Amino acid sequence: MAESTYEARRVQIEDTEDIDRTEVRSYWTLARQRFVHHRLAVIGAITLVVLIVAALVVPLIAGDTTGVSASRSFGAAEVISEDGELTLALLGYSRTGNNLFGQLMAATGTSLMIAFAAVLIIVLIGILIGSVAGFAGGWVDNILMRVVDIALAMPGLFIIIAFVAFWGASVWTVILAIGITGWTLAARLVRAEFLSLREADYVQAARALGATPRRIILRHMLPPALAPIIVAASLGVADSVVLEAALSFIGFGIPPTQASLGTLLNQAFEYLNRDPILVLFPSVVLILIVLAANFMGDGMRDALDPRQRVEQR
Amino acid sequence: MTVSSRHAGPLLEIKGLKTHFFTQDGTVKAVDGVTFQIAHGQTLGVVGESGCGKSITSLSVMRLIERPGKVVAGEISLNGDDLLKRSDEEMRDIRGDQVSMIFQEPMTSLNPVFSCGEQISEAVQQHTAASSREGMDRAVEMLSLVGISDAKRRAREYPHQLSGGMRQRVMIAMALSTDPDLLIADEPTTALDVTIQAQILEVMRDLRQKNRMAIMLITHDLGVVAEMADEVVVMYAGKVVERGDVRTIFGSPHHPYTQGLLHSIPRLDERVERLEVIKGTVPSPYNLPEGCLFKRRCPFRMPICDTAPPYRQIADEHFSRCWLTPSGEKPEVGEDAPSEEAEAAGDQLTAEPR
Amino acid sequence: MLTYIVRRILLSIPILFGVALISFLLVYLSPGDPLAQFRVPNVRPEVLERLEEIYGFGKPLHEQFFGFITNYVQIWNPDAWGLSITHRRPVLELVVERMPPTLLLMGTSLAITVIVAIPLGMLAAIKQYSLADKIVTTFATIGYAMPSFVLGTYLLIVGAIWLGVFPFRGMTSSLSVAGDPLDIAWHLVLPVSSLAIQSIAGWSRYIRATMLEVLHQDYIRTARAKGLGANRVNFRHALRNALIPVITLFGLSLPALLGGAVITEGIFSWPGLGSFGLQAIGQRDYPVIMAFVLLGGIAVVIGNLIADILYGIVDPRIKY
Repeated sequence: MAESTYEARRVQIEDTEDIDRTEVRSYWTLARQRFVHHRLAVIGAITLVVLIVAALVVPLIAGDTTGVSASRSFGAAEVISEDGELTLALLGYSRTGNNLFGQLMAATGTSLMIAFAAVLIIVLIGILIGSVAGFAGGWVDNILMRVVDIALAMPGLFIIIAFVAFWGASVWTVILAIGITGWTLAARLVRAEFLSLREADYVQAARALGATPRRIILRHMLPPALAPIIVAASLGVADSVVLEAALSFIGFGIPPTQASLGTLLNQAFEYLNRDPILVLFPSVVLILIVLAANFMGDGMRDALDPRQRVEQR
Repeated sequence: MTVSSRHAGPLLEIKGLKTHFFTQDGTVKAVDGVTFQIAHGQTLGVVGESGCGKSITSLSVMRLIERPGKVVAGEISLNGDDLLKRSDEEMRDIRGDQVSMIFQEPMTSLNPVFSCGEQISEAVQQHTAASSREGMDRAVEMLSLVGISDAKRRAREYPHQLSGGMRQRVMIAMALSTDPDLLIADEPTTALDVTIQAQILEVMRDLRQKNRMAIMLITHDLGVVAEMADEVVVMYAGKVVERGDVRTIFGSPHHPYTQGLLHSIPRLDERVERLEVIKGTVPSPYNLPEGCLFKRRCPFRMPICDTAPPYRQIADEHFSRCWLTPSGEKPEVGEDAPSEEAEAAGDQLTAEPR
Repeated sequence: MLTYIVRRILLSIPILFGVALISFLLVYLSPGDPLAQFRVPNVRPEVLERLEEIYGFGKPLHEQFFGFITNYVQIWNPDAWGLSITHRRPVLELVVERMPPTLLLMGTSLAITVIVAIPLGMLAAIKQYSLADKIVTTFATIGYAMPSFVLGTYLLIVGAIWLGVFPFRGMTSSLSVAGDPLDIAWHLVLPVSSLAIQSIAGWSRYIRATMLEVLHQDYIRTARAKGLGANRVNFRHALRNALIPVITLFGLSLPALLGGAVITEGIFSWPGLGSFGLQAIGQRDYPVIMAFVLLGGIAVVIGNLIADILYGIVDPRIKY
């Protein structure tokens, strides 16, 4: 073996250009960047924001949207009425004089609100059950998982309908019904994360480095556990909106006097033969919401857990 | 079965191979002008760190490169026949028949839903006129050949029922079942523990002797190279930096990188306070330096290293890509201006492969 | 395998117990009087008593629950699942009567889904990034986002109102002989389409994803290195593996065969279990409602069991 000429001729390398200057970015920054990279996800997010803003603002501007004036002609779109009012009747008026656009936006607002509230319940119950099960393990986990199994075994839609029918149709019963039956996915996701995190190498490493339990939970366990929750929540919004619409559509949701996407569709269905076009507007908004929420959910999943990416090759 | 007519000349000749990956973040020149040969029955060790391009080279030979990668230049001649010009069908006949490949991860390289025997038999049936019964017989034969006891029963078992070492033996059995001229082994023992490693190498040595088979052994483990290889090629950042007979490479390495690799092996007969390392890290493929790719880490660095060094012959059957003189001295200023031999043959070939 | 099945069935008993409990609580804790419709001015008190006896409404809750469970288990007894308040007939009988239309509807939809979605998903995965892939993915995304009742309504508008080709409602036309297969098939088109399109969209996305995952596995590379052709690699090596999770999906879709089409049956007035259940809720027919919940639970348990058994058959790594 040759003599170590290596050592004898060692030269100091002083060029600082040799230092790897790749920017170091935090987990959340990286996640945000990856999300923004997803065109569809961004479009979805923007769409939702636009819808939410419109749902809040338009009814305020358009004012009372029901039965304003039977004298307005059906189908004629207008923005400002002859009297100079800003009516924003972009979709015209119904035969009973309702400002269709204003009504649509108010309905969207109601539907979204129901969906968000239901998802909130889902997330809370899910985190509660999931984290306890995942963290405690053992027989506690076992029992909680049997509870989840029972919840999963039941015919959800049927029970929701029954619940709303029995306890009276109102926004609150619908929210409660959807929330109480929909938490199983969230609970499973949280539990899975917590279970794996308990044994995760980096958690052990943090412990070995002397991190306090609080730091470990907050800084090391919570962010990865949040990821599936955020994804489940965004997909849950889509499901909840559809669920509410379906319920109201068959008459077992919120009272028909209140406007939601479902009740609008229900009304439209009644007049299916006469004015089928009425089905178009609420259904398109519904599909938009679902698409937007799905895209956002996909984007967030990829942003927060790039390991799951299959397609980027 | 092997079709080679013992063509005069090397079994495999790679000239100026360039395989690039066109990604969103830029073009990665994974293999950038690689030239070497393998003679019949010879074992060539291809050595280098992760990411130096050795695996991509082997996949290029098998023409298994998929998008976003593409072989953009070079010639790959098997028995005088340029593989890059072959059609997909013709390549399929060659793959698994004249050239076989085994991979690094025995745990995931076998299909979990078929039995081991079936998978070996499939290879045999693909390339010969054998029936499924004959294929299975051959599978059992190969399994015992690679040292698996109770081969008949094992052939019916599924991959998950076998240990890592045994799975790798199954892979070898499968690769050799068609009597190939060349076996490409990509890090065959890296995922196995040391004792199993020794067994696998034993199997390979045994079989290459019986079948007069050439082996392209890709590894980052110098110990394996010392044990198995006749010739060694050292790769760095997509290029060959040194090539030579195994004794020469180990005895008198020329290229500073090779020297660094060898010096970093801990020795049992010396007491040291610190292990030697090669300073720095492998350059990012998106950000390669100008000139010599190793310059930032090289203890012999000179101003001339900002120009790409030529790949030239240092001694008999010994090549190195470095500005240092054959005896390892820094060149006198003015001497050794880059000659036309620079980037031996390969770079000038721009024939587009099919 | 047999011990596994037995063990699973035994484990399901507590789950079904839980379902029964919840079902019971759902009904008995809700406001309202189940026998309200019978408390008309002229009704004889003996009738009310008899009704209360049959339905056990007068007794304390735990006794009622106990009676509920013990009755339900005796399936050989036609009265086991109680009597429907509205129809005055044994619930079990009614359920069996209304099952075939639902099975027909959901079964056809499932069959079509499997037949169409598997090739679609495979194609999209094999030809990733191609035009075919983009078309399939786009269709799948939109189809998945469209709730089946919206789709059903659209189809109704187009097929029944505009084109006038398909019927509005029901399973048979009143003028035809009951059970004429062609007539039934004609009635099936719209509801099955609204169900199938959405599930095809969902399935093909899933199949595409699993197929893509499989295609990137090491053993596929090995298969290619052996010199196998694209067809053999895709169909024999890749699909075999990609279908494993799909079989589980299939098993999990089985429960829906019974209870899945509530909304669709409502829209198209399809005389199956779904619309029957809706009616029962509207009419506060509690025995029927409870039976339905329990039926749903049983369907899920059986469906899961079948899914796991199929999985065990198809994947050699699983040994029960």
